[in-house]
Amino acid sequence: MMENVYLPQIGRIAGIREETQGARAIKTFQVEFPDGDAFEHQCGQCAMLSVFGRGESMISIASSPLVKEYKQFSIMKMGRVTSAFHAARIGDFIGVRGPFGNQFPLADWKGRDLVFVGGGVGLAPMWGALQTAVARSQDYGKISLFYGARTAGDLMYKADIEALQTSVAVQLSVDNPEEGWQGYTGFVPANLMEKAPSSNNAIAITCGPPIMIKFVLQNLKALGFADEQIYTTLENKMKCGIGKCGRCNLGKDYVCTKGPVYSWAELKKLPQEY
Amino acid sequence: MEKILFKEKLRQWVDTLNDYEVLAPAFADSVWDYARVEAETEIDLSHTNTVNPPKQFAFPQREVFFRFERVDGVPRLTPTVPDPKPTLVLGVRPCDGRGMPCNDTVFSKEYRDPYYWARREKLTLVGLACNEPYAPNCFCQSVGGSPHSTEGLDVLMTDLVDRFHVRGITEKGLEVIERGGDAFDRVKDDDAAEVEKVHAAARSRPQRPVAEMDAVAKAIREQFDSPLWEEMARHCIGCGICTYLCPTCHCFDMNDEVTGPNAGTGERVRTWDNCQFPEFTMHTSGHNPRGDLAARLRQRVAHKFLYFVENHATRQCTGCGRCISGCPVGIDIVAVVDRVTRS
Repeated sequence: MMENVYLPQIGRIAGIREETQGARAIKTFQVEFPDGDAFEHQCGQCAMLSVFGRGESMISIASSPLVKEYKQFSIMKMGRVTSAFHAARIGDFIGVRGPFGNQFPLADWKGRDLVFVGGGVGLAPMWGALQTAVARSQDYGKISLFYGARTAGDLMYKADIEALQTSVAVQLSVDNPEEGWQGYTGFVPANLMEKAPSSNNAIAITCGPPIMIKFVLQNLKALGFADEQIYTTLENKMKCGIGKCGRCNLGKDYVCTKGPVYSWAELKKLPQEY
Repeated sequence: MEKILFKEKLRQWVDTLNDYEVLAPAFADSVWDYARVEAETEIDLSHTNTVNPPKQFAFPQREVFFRFERVDGVPRLTPTVPDPKPTLVLGVRPCDGRGMPCNDTVFSKEYRDPYYWARREKLTLVGLACNEPYAPNCFCQSVGGSPHSTEGLDVLMTDLVDRFHVRGITEKGLEVIERGGDAFDRVKDDDAAEVEKVHAAARSRPQRPVAEMDAVAKAIREQFDSPLWEEMARHCIGCGICTYLCPTCHCFDMNDEVTGPNAGTGERVRTWDNCQFPEFTMHTSGHNPRGDLAARLRQRVAHKFLYFVENHATRQCTGCGRCISGCPVGIDIVAVVDRVTRS
């Protein structure tokens, strides 16, 4: 971390992939840094990305820490900054501050089954952890991924997910019936309940829209997952990323420094201001 | 170090600090506020308190973090960490002095804020004990302070009618007193007793009580979901003046301001922000974790009397009373805390 925590380093967009279309399209950016400027991160951490003149947004680092050549960010087009990213081209320079926040305790999960449950762009914050676990699959039990979106066209990382099929039990879903759809039809929590992964010696990691998380939590509990076995990542509006600007707090915690990763056991103790 | 400064020699002392920017309370436009002491300024320390606390001298309302421009297609960033003159603030009331360690904590913990500290390290706070704390809105003693607290101050002066008793607290404070040389007289034998008499008299003035720190924290935790908050916030207009006037409120915004012919030229700017505004926490999606005035009043009070206590074992309120005096609709933090604690 540089001494001036507000001064971004300059990254270069080396790759752009269109994940989904529509008003809230998602694009994935691969960002490279000049030699010496690359930084290490941990699974679950975030970075403040900026388009100069437009501002900064806190975005999950979606790539695994094992990938050293670039950092990957998947950004949904929502507001001023994210729209500026969607207008960016390969070769454009951006500002990057980070990494910020805590991490998924992957080391503590050794020997356990991992159940990833994601919806929409919520796959991105978990993706680095999933990739890392897959790369070290000998350390873990069964790895499964439940992932869904409104339509097949709204699913991100399709090619990467396809490539995972050999090592991960992938369960894809779309909300409504769709011609030619091979996977589950219905909401993510329902798909989870139907496939009923064992909670025995397992950890569940979930990220997605709040309404999805609410029902995923209910169903994980029904499947026997204890609060300590369930992890999620939070998002709140952030500006500084370093626990000072005061807007991302849940009670005494600033999500930018104490989060974004929480176990449900920890999260239950904090005010529900997320 | 203790000295006596006769009031007619205050100017002489200030003149020895010629490499400092010296600020003192001045009455202008119907309010007391800090103003630069110029050669012709008649320094008047008869203020009750200034309308603004001195936090602005370490944490200004607006601060440029860096300039950005595009050079050969590549962004070039020029950081603008300030290198200010040493700054001495005269007449800081002890409640405001106590606010500075709270701000120091915020701008140090986990990550050191280089902009805050560039100013803060050059800042010397010369306090003035309150001989007549102006009831009813100040409550320093009820939140662990006192009308002559030295916490956060570099020097504490006590008004003894024709002279000030001057006590050096920190290295910085000792230095500015030493610089004063002949401006200061030696303390006489009975001065200590007189200072104590004045301080004791100030302490004995009535202040509205606030329940003990842990009891308030516990009550806020237990009443978090109480309908009381909605009831107490019903008349709040969300103007946020409570936080802008507060000696410890530190929340801020960061934005890019385009100053050049294209979006790639401009400044990244920090400005004060405010937890009472809905936009403060609203996600881009429109979802708002603190979507109503009740949640935002609770946030302000809980931050000061619960979260800061949990994180730093001290309240983030020094009892200056500005948020009470300044509120256009009469929301009173002492009454709010009292109601929550009694529920």
